[in-house]
Formats: sequence, structure tokens, C-alpha cells
Amino acid sequence: MNNLLLLNKKILLLFILFLFLLIFGFLFTKFYLTNTLVNYSKSNLNIGADIVEPRFSINNKSKKISVSANEGNFVNDQEILLRNNVMFKSKDFIIKSDNVVFDTIKLTAQSKDDSKFISDKTTISSKGFGITENGNIINFNGKSKLIIK
Amino acid sequence: MKFFFIIICILIFTKELYSRNIGETEILTDDGIEVFQKEKYYLLKKNVKIESDTFSLKGDNVEVYFEKDLYDIKKIVAIGNVNFNSSEYNLNGLGNELILYTEKEEIIINGIQSKLIINGTEMKSDGNINVNNLTGEFFILGDNSSLLAQEIYIIGEKIDGIFSSNTEVNEIKFLDVKDKNISYIKSDDTEMYAKHAIYKKEIDIIELKEDVKIIRDGETISGDYGTLDTKDNSYKVKSNSSNKVKVVIINSDE
Repeated sequence: MNNLLLLNKKILLLFILFLFLLIFGFLFTKFYLTNTLVNYSKSNLNIGADIVEPRFSINNKSKKISVSANEGNFVNDQEILLRNNVMFKSKDFIIKSDNVVFDTIKLTAQSKDDSKFISDKTTISSKGFGITENGNIINFNGKSKLIIK
Repeated sequence: MKFFFIIICILIFTKELYSRNIGETEILTDDGIEVFQKEKYYLLKKNVKIESDTFSLKGDNVEVYFEKDLYDIKKIVAIGNVNFNSSEYNLNGLGNELILYTEKEEIIINGIQSKLIINGTEMKSDGNINVNNLTGEFFILGDNSSLLAQEIYIIGEKIDGIFSSNTEVNEIKFLDVKDKNISYIKSDDTEMYAKHAIYKKEIDIIELKEDVKIIRDGETISGDYGTLDTKDNSYKVKSNSSNKVKVVIINSDE
């Protein structure tokens, strides 16, 4: 006689249910809880920030440069340290960098971190950058590379 | 497995070594780039290297003027230890300052020991060298200015000329050479001195004015005015009424 037929159907069902719960539990722990923890960690990082997702703009006669970041911390009355995914965006270009000190009165910006300028057919990579004169002058510091496509 | 590992390594290192792709222009600087948006130019600072498929340039500092955006270059001003090469236009040169107008294809080189070689024609000067590649017009101005073309060598303080633009090798159509001391022209076996010399390709004549001296085969003829026919290599020397034409013949057998 087949050994399988000797097993109690109820016990077998319970075993399958237990196995299903075990797999479900494993998947739940692996994905849902991990994501929750990551989100929690991220929100905890934001706790250290004075401003979450700060937004500014630099305006001059010819163009507007929008400034955005994930976090900002006040350095003094007029300067803010922008951190995580800092972006300066105008209709002609985007500058991506990190740890940028933005002066809210003079509307200037300075960074010593790796920076990337992207515009039509052009990219500039440098070790830091600076924006002065309402965005008219952009200074890329240190050893720099400009690629024209 | 080992083979694939080697291939991957080669690909990675090749990408690292040659970061510029075909058709791209790469500009490297040691001390950054300053972009002036209103004035529409950018300043490349310290030890600048520009490299594209057909053009390369090195200089201490370079200003690049653009029309619409950074890629749309209309003028390049390179200052300090400038050295450049263009395989497209078959030219290379060096000098203290280079000004290059991309649209009108005009090149200006300034400074001591400036040098430009264009389609085999060599120009040197301690002043300025100016060439318009579209019109073929050029001038070399200043001390130690010289021009070495296929069959002619010229030294003069001011050398004006026009190249024929429809030939692969630059053929000189017109020349105007001036020097307050004396200018020098060597064509084939003939050496010529004068304060002012004019060459016109259409009539094949070199016209010499003031303090003229023509030397050929040990024979020196001096006067106030002379012409050399480049077709049959014959020459004439005239003198003002007050002076006389002087002929000195040196016999090399003596």
C-alpha cells in the first residue's frame, strides 16, 4: 500500500498551512519590515536637518535658477548648508552636487564636493563649484573636465 | 572563464584610458573653469588641454566664446605656451597667444617665436601671424618675420599676401614685402634684396624697389629698381638718373 495514503488528511492539511504561514512570514519579514526600517532610518536622518526638502531660486534678468535639496541646515543667519541630492536647475543647465553652502541674501552658492554640470551637448565634472552674481558666473574648481558632444 | 575575465579587464581599462568618445571634444584644466553666462564665454584655467578627433590645443589659459551654449564655439583665445594642431586643415603652430575665429576660419598668432605651418607653408615671426583660411589672405608682421613656401623663402618686417584657396598646397597669388632696413627673397637660384618687393602670380613678376640687389651665379647687380620674371627666370635692374647700375662678377675659378 502507498505510504501517502496512510497519512492523516487533517495532519497533512495542517502541515501545508504551517508551511504556507512560514513562507508568508519569511517574505513579510524580508520585504515589508526591511522597507519600513529603511524608511524609518531615512526619516531619522531628516531629524538632524533644520529644513526638509528646502527650495530656493536665484533670479536674474535673463533666467531663473531653481535650487533644491533633500535637507538643509542653518550655518548662520543667512547661510544654509544644503545636503543630499542638491540640484541647481535652469532652462539651460543642471548642476548636481552635495554639501553646498547657499547664501540666501547674496544668492550665492559654494561647494567643495564633486560637482556635475549638464547642459545641451555639454558636461563639466569638477571638484566643487561656486555661483555668484545672481547666477551669471559659475566657477568650477580644481581639476575639471569638460566634454562637448 | 579566464578569457572572459581578460576581456572584461581590457574593456574596463580601455574605457578609463580613453574617456573621450569618437566625435566628442574633451577639455581638461588644472585649475577649473569659469563660465560667464551674460558675456557668453568660459575661462579655462591653468594647463589647458583641448582634444577632439581632428584638433588639439595646449595652453596656459584659454578663453572660449560661444554663441548659444557652451558647445557652440565661435572664438578661442589661448594665452601662454600655446601649441595647436589641426589635421582637418593641415595646420599646426605655436606662440604666446592664439586667437581663432571658427566661423570665418581666421587664425592670429602673437608673440615671440610665433610659428604657423599651413599646408606645407611655414610662417615665423616675433610679432603677429594672421591667416584667413577662407579668403587666403595673410600677413606676417614684426621682427624676424619670414615665410617659407614651396620654392620661395622671404624675410621681411611686413609680409602681406594671398594664397590660392583652391589648391591642396598653398600657392602664393600675391605678395607685398616691406622692410625699413632690407627685405630678402630667395627664389630658385636667385637671391633678391630690396626695401619693398611685390609679387603677382598673374603676371609672374617680382618687382623690387629701393636698394635693390640681385645675386645669381656669383653675379651681383644692384640698383634702384628691378624685376624678375619667374617664368623664364630673367631679370632687369634699373637705376635713378643720379645713380648707376652696379655689376659685380665674382669668378669662382680664380
